[in-house]
Amino acid sequence: MTAGTGLTDVGRSELPTEIVLELESVDGGYGDLQVLYDLSLGLGEGEVVCLIGPNGAGKSTVLRTVFGLIEPWSGRVLLRGEEISGTAPEEVVRLGVGYVPQVKNVFGSLTVHENLQIGGTAREESEGVIADLYERFPLLAEKRGAKARSLSGGQRQVLALARALVMEPDVLLIDEPSAGLAPTVVEDVFESVRTVNELGTSVLMIEQNARAGLGISDRGYVLDQGTVKFAGDADEILDHPEVAELYLGG
Amino acid sequence: MCALQLVADGVIFSCIIILGSIGLSLVYDIANFPNFAHGDLMAVGAFGAITANTVLGLPFVAAAVVGIGVGATVGVATERVVFEPLDVGPLELLIASIGVALCYRAVLIGGFGSDPRSYDVGGRGRVEALHEATGIAASPRSIAIVASTLVLVLSLHLLLQYTSLGRQMRATADDPDLARVSGIRTRTVTTAMWIIGGGLAAAGGVFLGLDTIVRPQMGFDLLLVLFAAVILGGIGSVYGAMLGGFAIGMAHELTPLVPGVGTEYKAAVAFVIMILILLFRPSGIMGGKESA
Repeated sequence: MTAGTGLTDVGRSELPTEIVLELESVDGGYGDLQVLYDLSLGLGEGEVVCLIGPNGAGKSTVLRTVFGLIEPWSGRVLLRGEEISGTAPEEVVRLGVGYVPQVKNVFGSLTVHENLQIGGTAREESEGVIADLYERFPLLAEKRGAKARSLSGGQRQVLALARALVMEPDVLLIDEPSAGLAPTVVEDVFESVRTVNELGTSVLMIEQNARAGLGISDRGYVLDQGTVKFAGDADEILDHPEVAELYLGG
Repeated sequence: MCALQLVADGVIFSCIIILGSIGLSLVYDIANFPNFAHGDLMAVGAFGAITANTVLGLPFVAAAVVGIGVGATVGVATERVVFEPLDVGPLELLIASIGVALCYRAVLIGGFGSDPRSYDVGGRGRVEALHEATGIAASPRSIAIVASTLVLVLSLHLLLQYTSLGRQMRATADDPDLARVSGIRTRTVTTAMWIIGGGLAAAGGVFLGLDTIVRPQMGFDLLLVLFAAVILGGIGSVYGAMLGGFAIGMAHELTPLVPGVGTEYKAAVAFVIMILILLFRPSGIMGGKESA
Protein backbone atom coordinates (compact mmCIF):
# COMPACT_ATOMS: atom_id res chain seq x y z
CA MET A 1 0.00 0.00 0.00
CA THR A 2 1.26 3.50 -0.75
CA ALA A 3 0.02 6.82 0.45
CA GLY A 4 -0.29 9.48 -2.23
CA THR A 5 2.16 10.24 -5.02
CA GLY A 6 5.69 11.46 -4.49
CA LEU A 7 6.97 14.81 -5.62
CA THR A 8 10.15 13.07 -6.61
CA ASP A 9 10.93 9.41 -6.94
CA VAL A 10 13.75 8.50 -4.67
CA GLY A 11 16.11 5.70 -5.55
CA ARG A 12 19.35 4.25 -4.28
CA SER A 13 21.23 6.21 -6.92
CA GLU A 14 20.63 9.45 -5.01
CA LEU A 15 22.27 8.17 -1.83
CA PRO A 16 25.95 8.75 -1.10
CA THR A 17 28.27 5.89 -1.97
CA GLU A 18 29.11 4.93 1.60
CA ILE A 19 25.85 4.17 3.34
CA VAL A 20 25.97 3.69 7.11
CA LEU A 21 22.29 3.25 7.78
CA GLU A 22 19.52 2.30 5.42
CA LEU A 23 15.82 1.55 5.56
CA GLU A 24 14.74 -0.66 2.69
CA SER A 25 11.03 -0.73 1.74
CA VAL A 26 9.88 -0.65 5.35
CA ASP A 27 6.23 -1.03 6.32
CA GLY A 28 5.52 -0.57 10.01
CA GLY A 29 3.43 0.97 12.74
CA TYR A 30 1.84 0.42 16.12
CA GLY A 31 -0.53 -2.49 16.71
CA ASP A 32 -2.90 -2.57 13.75
CA LEU A 33 -2.17 1.03 12.78
CA GLN A 34 0.15 1.25 9.79
CA VAL A 35 2.30 4.36 9.85
CA LEU A 36 5.16 3.62 7.44
CA TYR A 37 4.45 2.62 3.84
CA ASP A 38 7.23 1.11 1.72
CA LEU A 39 9.65 3.64 3.14
CA SER A 40 13.24 3.71 1.95
CA LEU A 41 15.94 6.12 2.99
CA GLY A 42 19.62 6.18 3.77
CA LEU A 43 22.26 7.95 5.81
CA GLY A 44 25.72 8.34 4.35
CA GLU A 45 29.02 8.25 6.21
CA GLY A 46 29.63 11.61 7.91
CA GLU A 47 26.31 13.11 6.88
CA VAL A 48 23.67 15.07 8.73
CA VAL A 49 20.30 14.09 7.28
CA CYS A 50 17.09 15.77 8.37
CA LEU A 51 13.63 14.24 8.16
CA ILE A 52 10.89 16.83 7.87
CA GLY A 53 7.17 16.60 7.34
CA PRO A 54 3.83 17.36 8.97
CA ASN A 55 2.70 15.89 12.28
CA GLY A 56 1.75 12.25 11.86
CA ALA A 57 3.99 11.79 8.83
CA GLY A 58 5.83 8.96 10.59
CA LYS A 59 9.12 10.73 11.34
CA SER A 60 9.45 9.51 14.94
CA THR A 61 8.28 6.06 13.86
CA VAL A 62 11.23 5.90 11.47
CA LEU A 63 13.69 6.51 14.31
CA ARG A 64 11.88 4.12 16.65
CA THR A 65 11.96 1.44 13.95
CA VAL A 66 15.68 1.90 13.33
CA PHE A 67 16.37 1.71 17.05
CA GLY A 68 14.40 -1.47 17.61
CA LEU A 69 11.64 0.10 19.65
CA ILE A 70 9.26 -1.02 16.90
CA GLU A 71 9.80 -4.06 14.71
CA PRO A 72 9.16 -3.40 11.00
CA TRP A 73 6.24 -5.36 9.53
CA SER A 74 8.21 -5.88 6.33
CA GLY A 75 11.34 -4.49 4.75
CA ARG A 76 14.78 -4.24 6.32
CA VAL A 77 16.86 -1.93 8.46
CA LEU A 78 20.55 -2.20 7.57
CA LEU A 79 23.54 -0.91 9.51
CA ARG A 80 26.68 -0.98 7.36
CA GLY A 81 24.92 -3.57 5.21
CA GLU A 82 24.04 -5.89 8.11
CA GLU A 83 20.37 -6.33 8.91
CA ILE A 84 19.43 -5.09 12.38
CA SER A 85 15.61 -5.12 11.99
CA GLY A 86 13.97 -5.88 15.30
CA THR A 87 17.22 -5.89 17.29
CA ALA A 88 16.54 -4.79 20.89
CA PRO A 89 17.47 -1.15 21.63
CA GLU A 90 20.05 -2.06 24.28
CA GLU A 91 21.82 -4.18 21.67
CA VAL A 92 21.50 -1.55 18.92
CA VAL A 93 23.47 0.78 21.22
CA ARG A 94 26.26 -1.80 21.29
CA LEU A 95 26.30 -1.84 17.47
CA GLY A 96 27.24 1.83 17.39
CA VAL A 97 23.91 3.64 17.16
CA GLY A 98 22.87 6.33 19.65
CA TYR A 99 19.37 7.70 20.15
CA VAL A 100 18.19 10.94 21.70
CA PRO A 101 14.41 10.83 22.29
CA GLN A 102 12.33 13.97 21.97
CA VAL A 103 10.94 13.98 25.50
CA LYS A 104 11.90 12.25 28.73
CA ASN A 105 15.44 12.03 27.47
CA VAL A 106 17.34 12.37 30.76
CA PHE A 107 17.16 10.49 34.05
CA GLY A 108 15.77 13.24 36.27
CA SER A 109 16.63 11.60 39.59
CA LEU A 110 20.25 10.99 38.59
CA THR A 111 22.98 13.61 38.52
CA VAL A 112 24.42 14.95 35.28
CA HIS A 113 27.53 12.83 35.81
CA GLU A 114 25.48 9.72 36.54
CA ASN A 115 23.44 10.32 33.37
CA LEU A 116 26.69 10.33 31.41
CA GLN A 117 27.92 7.21 33.21
CA ILE A 118 24.66 5.49 32.25
CA GLY A 119 25.37 6.47 28.65
CA GLY A 120 28.57 4.45 28.93
CA THR A 121 26.98 1.37 30.50
CA ALA A 122 27.78 -0.77 27.47
CA ARG A 123 31.48 0.08 27.44
CA GLU A 124 34.18 -1.06 29.83
CA GLU A 125 35.63 2.35 30.55
CA SER A 126 33.79 5.61 30.04
CA GLU A 127 35.39 8.20 32.36
CA GLY A 128 37.90 9.30 29.70
CA VAL A 129 35.15 9.93 27.13
CA ILE A 130 33.06 11.71 29.77
CA ALA A 131 36.02 13.99 30.56
CA ASP A 132 36.26 14.84 26.84
CA LEU A 133 32.54 15.56 26.75
CA TYR A 134 32.89 17.92 29.71
CA GLU A 135 35.46 19.85 27.67
CA ARG A 136 33.15 19.94 24.68
CA PHE A 137 30.09 20.90 26.73
CA PRO A 138 31.40 23.01 29.64
CA LEU A 139 27.91 23.67 31.00
CA LEU A 140 27.66 19.97 31.82
CA ALA A 141 30.95 20.13 33.70
CA GLU A 142 29.58 23.01 35.77
CA LYS A 143 26.44 21.03 36.58
CA ARG A 144 28.00 17.59 36.96
CA GLY A 145 26.72 17.09 40.52
CA ALA A 146 23.25 18.55 39.89
CA LYS A 147 20.19 16.36 39.45
CA ALA A 148 19.16 16.31 35.80
CA ARG A 149 15.64 17.34 36.75
CA SER A 150 17.01 20.71 37.87
CA LEU A 151 18.36 21.54 34.38
CA SER A 152 16.65 23.88 31.92
CA GLY A 153 15.14 22.48 28.71
CA GLY A 154 18.19 23.41 26.63
CA GLN A 155 20.59 21.99 29.21
CA ARG A 156 18.62 18.74 29.29
CA GLN A 157 18.81 18.50 25.51
CA VAL A 158 22.58 18.94 25.60
CA LEU A 159 22.85 16.35 28.39
CA ALA A 160 20.71 13.91 26.39
CA LEU A 161 22.97 14.46 23.39
CA ALA A 162 26.11 13.99 25.46
CA ARG A 163 24.70 10.87 27.13
CA ALA A 164 24.20 9.30 23.70
CA LEU A 165 27.75 10.29 22.72
CA VAL A 166 29.49 8.48 25.58
CA MET A 167 29.33 5.32 23.48
CA GLU A 168 31.03 7.24 20.63
CA PRO A 169 28.38 6.03 18.17
CA ASP A 170 28.89 5.91 14.42
CA VAL A 171 25.28 6.95 13.95
CA LEU A 172 23.20 9.27 16.10
CA LEU A 173 19.41 9.47 15.84
CA ILE A 174 17.96 12.69 17.23
CA ASP A 175 14.24 13.27 17.65
CA GLU A 176 13.23 16.96 17.53
CA PRO A 177 16.20 18.54 19.30
CA SER A 178 14.58 21.99 19.26
CA ALA A 179 11.19 20.96 20.65
CA GLY A 180 10.02 23.37 23.31
CA LEU A 181 13.23 25.39 23.38
CA ALA A 182 13.71 29.16 23.11
CA PRO A 183 15.21 30.30 19.75
CA THR A 184 18.54 31.26 21.27
CA VAL A 185 18.82 27.88 22.97
CA VAL A 186 17.89 26.13 19.72
CA GLU A 187 20.93 27.70 18.05
CA ASP A 188 23.17 26.30 20.79
CA VAL A 189 21.64 22.83 20.46
CA PHE A 190 22.01 22.82 16.68
CA GLU A 191 25.59 24.00 17.09
CA SER A 192 26.17 21.00 19.36
CA VAL A 193 24.70 18.68 16.72
CA ARG A 194 27.01 20.17 14.11
CA THR A 195 29.99 19.73 16.44
CA VAL A 196 29.08 16.10 17.01
CA ASN A 197 28.93 15.54 13.27
CA GLU A 198 32.27 17.25 12.66
CA LEU A 199 33.83 14.77 15.06
CA GLY A 200 32.77 11.91 12.78
CA THR A 201 29.27 10.85 13.83
CA SER A 202 26.64 10.53 11.12
CA VAL A 203 23.38 12.12 12.25
CA LEU A 204 19.80 11.28 11.29
CA MET A 205 17.60 13.97 12.77
CA ILE A 206 13.91 14.79 12.90
CA GLU A 207 13.07 18.45 13.13
CA GLN A 208 9.71 20.19 13.24
CA ASN A 209 11.48 23.49 12.62
CA ALA A 210 12.22 22.36 9.08
CA ARG A 211 14.16 25.38 7.86
CA ALA A 212 16.46 25.36 10.88
CA GLY A 213 16.95 21.60 10.68
CA LEU A 214 17.75 21.62 6.98
CA GLY A 215 20.02 24.62 7.61
CA ILE A 216 22.52 22.40 9.42
CA SER A 217 21.96 19.30 7.28
CA ASP A 218 23.64 17.91 4.19
CA ARG A 219 20.55 16.20 2.87
CA GLY A 220 16.90 15.90 3.73
CA TYR A 221 13.82 13.77 3.28
CA VAL A 222 10.28 15.07 3.23
CA LEU A 223 7.94 12.51 4.74
CA ASP A 224 4.18 12.61 4.37
CA GLN A 225 1.65 9.92 5.24
CA GLY A 226 4.36 7.44 6.07
CA THR A 227 6.37 7.58 2.90
CA VAL A 228 9.13 9.68 1.34
CA LYS A 229 7.66 12.44 -0.81
CA PHE A 230 10.87 14.21 -1.65
CA ALA A 231 14.56 13.70 -1.11
CA GLY A 232 17.61 15.69 -1.99
CA ASP A 233 20.31 18.03 -0.81
CA ALA A 234 19.19 20.27 2.03
CA ASP A 235 19.62 23.41 -0.08
CA GLU A 236 17.67 21.83 -2.89
CA ILE A 237 14.77 21.04 -0.57
CA LEU A 238 14.81 24.51 0.96
CA ASP A 239 14.67 26.08 -2.50
CA HIS A 240 12.07 23.74 -3.94
CA PRO A 241 8.88 25.76 -4.51
CA GLU A 242 6.43 22.90 -3.95
CA VAL A 243 8.18 21.73 -0.80
CA ALA A 244 8.35 25.29 0.43
CA GLU A 245 4.65 25.80 -0.13
CA LEU A 246 3.48 22.46 1.25
CA TYR A 247 5.93 21.78 4.07
CA LEU A 248 7.93 24.90 4.90
CA GLY A 249 5.10 27.36 5.30
CA GLY A 250 5.61 29.13 1.93
CA MET B 1 6.61 -0.01 80.49
CA CYS B 2 9.10 2.86 80.28
CA ALA B 3 9.29 5.05 77.19
CA LEU B 4 12.88 4.03 76.51
CA GLN B 5 11.85 0.38 76.37
CA LEU B 6 9.07 1.21 73.91
CA VAL B 7 11.56 3.10 71.77
CA ALA B 8 13.88 0.08 71.78
CA ASP B 9 10.99 -2.21 70.83
CA GLY B 10 10.06 0.28 68.12
CA VAL B 11 13.57 0.19 66.65
CA ILE B 12 13.49 -3.62 66.49
CA PHE B 13 10.05 -3.70 64.88
CA SER B 14 11.08 -0.92 62.49
CA CYS B 15 14.03 -3.00 61.29
CA ILE B 16 11.67 -5.76 60.18
CA ILE B 17 9.29 -3.30 58.53
CA ILE B 18 12.15 -1.51 56.77
CA LEU B 19 13.47 -4.75 55.24
CA GLY B 20 10.01 -5.69 54.01
CA SER B 21 9.24 -2.18 52.75
CA ILE B 22 12.43 -1.85 50.70
CA GLY B 23 11.64 -4.96 48.68
CA LEU B 24 8.03 -3.91 48.20
CA SER B 25 9.15 -0.49 46.99
CA LEU B 26 11.83 -1.93 44.67
CA VAL B 27 9.33 -4.23 43.02
CA TYR B 28 6.77 -1.42 42.70
CA ASP B 29 9.46 0.80 41.20
CA ILE B 30 10.52 -1.62 38.52
CA ALA B 31 7.42 -3.73 37.86
CA ASN B 32 4.90 -0.94 38.50
CA PHE B 33 2.43 -2.91 40.60
CA PRO B 34 1.86 -3.44 44.35
CA ASN B 35 3.01 -7.00 45.01
CA PHE B 36 0.55 -8.45 47.53
CA ALA B 37 2.67 -11.61 47.70
CA HIS B 38 5.53 -9.70 49.29
CA GLY B 39 4.41 -10.32 52.89
CA ASP B 40 4.12 -14.03 52.25
CA LEU B 41 7.57 -13.96 50.65
CA MET B 42 8.81 -12.91 54.09
CA ALA B 43 7.20 -16.05 55.50
CA VAL B 44 8.81 -18.15 52.74
CA GLY B 45 12.22 -16.83 53.83
CA ALA B 46 11.49 -17.54 57.48
CA PHE B 47 10.45 -21.13 56.70
CA GLY B 48 13.52 -21.59 54.50
CA ALA B 49 15.68 -20.59 57.45
CA ILE B 50 13.82 -22.67 60.01
CA THR B 51 14.06 -25.73 57.79
CA ALA B 52 17.80 -25.24 57.40
CA ASN B 53 18.09 -24.65 61.14
CA THR B 54 15.84 -27.29 62.69
CA VAL B 55 15.72 -29.95 59.97
CA LEU B 56 19.15 -29.73 58.37
CA GLY B 57 20.77 -28.72 61.65
CA LEU B 58 22.62 -25.69 60.32
CA PRO B 59 23.65 -23.01 62.80
CA PHE B 60 21.26 -20.06 62.83
CA VAL B 61 23.49 -17.63 60.90
CA ALA B 62 23.98 -20.14 58.07
CA ALA B 63 20.27 -20.98 58.18
CA ALA B 64 19.41 -17.28 57.90
CA VAL B 65 21.58 -17.03 54.77
CA VAL B 66 19.76 -20.06 53.35
CA GLY B 67 16.41 -18.41 54.15
CA ILE B 68 17.48 -15.21 52.39
CA GLY B 69 18.60 -17.27 49.39
CA VAL B 70 15.28 -19.11 49.32
CA GLY B 71 13.38 -15.79 49.41
CA ALA B 72 15.49 -14.33 46.59
CA THR B 73 15.13 -17.48 44.48
CA VAL B 74 11.38 -17.75 44.99
CA GLY B 75 11.00 -14.03 44.23
CA VAL B 76 12.88 -14.29 40.92
CA ALA B 77 11.17 -17.56 39.98
CA THR B 78 7.75 -15.98 40.61
CA GLU B 79 8.66 -13.02 38.45
CA ARG B 80 9.85 -15.24 35.61
CA VAL B 81 7.02 -17.79 35.78
CA VAL B 82 4.04 -15.61 36.73
CA PHE B 83 4.50 -11.86 36.44
CA GLU B 84 6.80 -11.46 33.44
CA PRO B 85 4.74 -13.59 31.01
CA LEU B 86 1.56 -11.70 31.94
CA ASP B 87 1.10 -8.94 29.37
CA VAL B 88 -1.48 -7.10 31.50
CA GLY B 89 -1.85 -3.87 33.46
CA PRO B 90 -1.01 -3.11 37.10
CA LEU B 91 -4.50 -3.99 38.38
CA GLU B 92 -4.37 -7.47 36.83
CA LEU B 93 -0.84 -7.98 38.19
CA LEU B 94 -2.08 -6.95 41.64
CA ILE B 95 -4.82 -9.58 41.49
CA ALA B 96 -2.29 -12.14 40.23
CA SER B 97 -0.03 -11.29 43.17
CA ILE B 98 -2.88 -12.03 45.60
CA GLY B 99 -3.15 -15.45 43.97
CA VAL B 100 0.61 -15.92 44.32
CA ALA B 101 0.36 -14.98 48.02
CA LEU B 102 -2.33 -17.60 48.56
CA CYS B 103 -0.17 -20.18 46.77
CA TYR B 104 2.87 -19.39 48.93
CA ARG B 105 0.77 -19.72 52.09
CA ALA B 106 -0.92 -22.93 50.94
CA VAL B 107 2.46 -24.51 50.24
CA LEU B 108 3.77 -23.45 53.65
CA ILE B 109 0.68 -24.74 55.48
CA GLY B 110 0.69 -27.95 53.42
CA GLY B 111 4.36 -28.55 54.03
CA PHE B 112 4.78 -27.39 57.60
CA GLY B 113 1.27 -27.17 59.11
CA SER B 114 -0.15 -24.14 60.88
CA ASP B 115 1.59 -24.56 64.22
CA PRO B 116 4.03 -21.86 65.25
CA ARG B 117 7.71 -22.81 65.25
CA SER B 118 10.87 -21.40 66.76
CA TYR B 119 14.49 -21.40 65.70
CA ASP B 120 16.88 -23.65 67.54
CA VAL B 121 19.07 -20.85 68.79
CA GLY B 122 19.65 -19.19 72.14
CA GLY B 123 19.91 -15.51 72.96
CA ARG B 124 16.42 -14.99 74.35
CA GLY B 125 17.40 -13.51 77.69
CA ARG B 126 18.11 -9.84 78.17
CA VAL B 127 21.60 -8.39 78.01
CA GLU B 128 22.22 -7.55 81.65
CA ALA B 129 24.87 -4.89 81.04
CA LEU B 130 22.55 -2.99 78.74
CA HIS B 131 19.67 -3.34 81.18
CA GLU B 132 21.72 -2.06 84.09
CA ALA B 133 23.04 0.89 82.09
CA THR B 134 19.84 2.00 80.39
CA GLY B 135 16.93 0.06 81.84
CA ILE B 136 16.23 -1.43 78.41
CA ALA B 137 15.52 -5.15 78.27
CA ALA B 138 16.90 -6.28 74.94
CA SER B 139 18.00 -9.80 74.04
CA PRO B 140 21.08 -10.69 72.01
CA ARG B 141 18.57 -11.72 69.32
CA SER B 142 17.16 -8.18 69.20
CA ILE B 143 20.60 -6.63 69.05
CA ALA B 144 21.54 -9.01 66.24
CA ILE B 145 18.38 -8.00 64.33
CA VAL B 146 19.20 -4.30 64.58
CA ALA B 147 22.88 -4.79 63.71
CA SER B 148 22.09 -7.07 60.75
CA THR B 149 19.47 -4.65 59.42
CA LEU B 150 21.95 -1.78 59.62
CA VAL B 151 24.49 -3.85 57.67
CA LEU B 152 21.92 -4.81 55.02
CA VAL B 153 20.56 -1.28 54.61
CA LEU B 154 24.05 0.20 54.44
CA SER B 155 25.08 -2.42 51.89
CA LEU B 156 22.04 -1.59 49.76
CA HIS B 157 22.85 2.12 50.00
CA LEU B 158 26.44 1.49 48.87
CA LEU B 159 25.21 -0.74 46.05
CA LEU B 160 22.69 1.83 44.82
CA GLN B 161 24.99 4.85 45.03
CA TYR B 162 28.45 3.56 44.24
CA THR B 163 28.19 0.65 41.83
CA SER B 164 27.34 0.40 38.16
CA LEU B 165 24.52 -2.04 38.94
CA GLY B 166 23.04 0.35 41.49
CA ARG B 167 23.19 3.22 39.02
CA GLN B 168 21.50 1.06 36.39
CA MET B 169 18.83 0.09 38.91
CA ARG B 170 18.12 3.73 39.70
CA ALA B 171 18.07 4.64 36.01
CA THR B 172 15.74 1.74 35.18
CA ALA B 173 13.42 2.71 38.01
CA ASP B 174 13.46 6.32 36.79
CA ASP B 175 12.62 5.53 33.14
CA PRO B 176 12.78 1.94 31.85
CA ASP B 177 12.43 2.93 28.18
CA LEU B 178 15.21 5.48 28.35
CA ALA B 179 17.30 2.92 30.23
CA ARG B 180 17.01 0.52 27.31
CA VAL B 181 17.91 3.11 24.69
CA SER B 182 20.88 4.05 26.87
CA GLY B 183 22.20 0.50 26.58
CA ILE B 184 21.05 -0.92 29.92
CA ARG B 185 20.03 -4.57 29.72
CA THR B 186 16.92 -3.97 31.77
CA ARG B 187 16.00 -7.64 32.11
CA THR B 188 19.23 -8.27 33.99
CA VAL B 189 18.58 -5.23 36.16
CA THR B 190 15.00 -6.35 36.84
CA THR B 191 16.27 -9.77 37.90
CA ALA B 192 18.75 -8.11 40.26
CA MET B 193 15.92 -6.05 41.77
CA TRP B 194 13.79 -9.14 42.39
CA ILE B 195 16.76 -10.92 43.95
CA ILE B 196 17.46 -7.99 46.27
CA GLY B 197 13.77 -7.37 47.04
CA GLY B 198 13.09 -11.06 47.69
CA GLY B 199 16.27 -11.45 49.72
CA LEU B 200 15.51 -8.46 51.93
CA ALA B 201 11.89 -9.59 52.41
CA ALA B 202 13.20 -13.00 53.46
CA ALA B 203 15.65 -11.35 55.85
CA GLY B 204 12.73 -9.43 57.36
CA GLY B 205 10.81 -12.70 57.73
CA VAL B 206 13.78 -14.47 59.32
CA PHE B 207 14.22 -11.62 61.81
CA LEU B 208 10.49 -11.47 62.56
CA GLY B 209 10.61 -15.19 63.29
CA LEU B 210 13.62 -14.64 65.51
CA ASP B 211 11.89 -11.83 67.38
CA THR B 212 8.58 -13.68 67.74
CA ILE B 213 7.66 -17.02 66.13
CA VAL B 214 7.55 -18.52 62.65
CA ARG B 215 4.12 -19.28 61.20
CA PRO B 216 2.64 -19.29 57.69
CA GLN B 217 0.44 -16.21 58.32
CA MET B 218 3.28 -14.05 59.69
CA GLY B 219 4.04 -12.13 56.50
CA PHE B 220 0.47 -11.56 55.43
CA ASP B 221 -0.32 -10.05 58.83
CA LEU B 222 2.39 -7.46 58.21
CA LEU B 223 1.43 -6.65 54.62
CA LEU B 224 -0.77 -3.64 55.32
CA VAL B 225 1.86 -2.18 57.64
CA LEU B 226 4.43 -2.62 54.86
CA PHE B 227 2.17 -0.84 52.39
CA ALA B 228 1.64 1.95 54.91
CA ALA B 229 5.42 2.35 55.22
CA VAL B 230 5.94 2.41 51.45
CA ILE B 231 3.11 4.90 50.88
CA LEU B 232 4.26 7.09 53.75
CA GLY B 233 7.82 7.12 52.46
CA GLY B 234 6.75 7.85 48.89
CA ILE B 235 5.89 5.09 46.45
CA GLY B 236 8.86 4.07 44.35
CA SER B 237 11.52 5.46 46.66
CA VAL B 238 13.78 2.98 48.44
CA TYR B 239 15.05 5.65 50.81
CA GLY B 240 11.45 6.70 51.40
CA ALA B 241 10.61 3.09 52.24
CA MET B 242 13.41 3.10 54.81
CA LEU B 243 12.13 6.30 56.41
CA GLY B 244 8.50 5.21 56.14
CA GLY B 245 9.35 1.81 57.62
CA PHE B 246 11.10 3.45 60.54
CA ALA B 247 8.26 5.94 61.14
CA ILE B 248 5.51 3.31 60.94
CA GLY B 249 7.48 0.83 63.05
CA MET B 250 8.09 3.39 65.78
CA ALA B 251 4.49 4.63 65.71
CA HIS B 252 3.33 1.04 65.97
CA GLU B 253 5.33 0.37 69.14
CA LEU B 254 5.00 3.81 70.77
CA THR B 255 1.21 3.72 70.66
CA PRO B 256 0.91 2.90 74.42
CA LEU B 257 2.42 6.31 75.16
CA VAL B 258 -0.70 7.97 73.76
CA PRO B 259 -3.03 8.54 76.72
CA GLY B 260 -6.17 6.40 76.59
CA VAL B 261 -4.97 4.32 73.64
CA GLY B 262 -4.21 0.65 74.24
CA THR B 263 -1.82 -1.65 72.42
CA GLU B 264 -4.78 -3.10 70.49
CA TYR B 265 -4.77 0.15 68.47
CA LYS B 266 -1.13 -0.21 67.36
CA ALA B 267 -1.87 -0.84 63.69
CA ALA B 268 -4.64 1.76 63.60
CA VAL B 269 -2.36 4.47 65.04
CA ALA B 270 0.28 3.71 62.42
CA PHE B 271 -2.31 4.19 59.68
CA VAL B 272 -3.64 7.40 61.23
CA ILE B 273 -0.12 8.82 61.18
CA MET B 274 0.29 7.75 57.57
CA ILE B 275 -2.97 9.48 56.60
CA LEU B 276 -2.10 12.64 58.53
CA ILE B 277 1.28 12.95 56.83
CA LEU B 278 -0.20 12.26 53.40
CA LEU B 279 -2.76 15.02 53.98
CA PHE B 280 0.10 17.50 54.13
CA ARG B 281 2.45 15.75 51.70
CA PRO B 282 0.46 13.61 49.26
CA SER B 283 3.54 12.22 47.53
CA GLY B 284 4.93 10.85 50.80
CA ILE B 285 8.07 11.81 52.70
CA MET B 286 10.50 11.18 49.83
CA GLY B 287 8.02 11.13 46.93
CA GLY B 288 9.40 12.85 43.83
CA LYS B 289 12.82 13.26 45.41
CA GLU B 290 14.61 10.03 44.71
CA SER B 291 13.82 6.91 42.81
CA ALA B 292 15.18 3.43 43.55
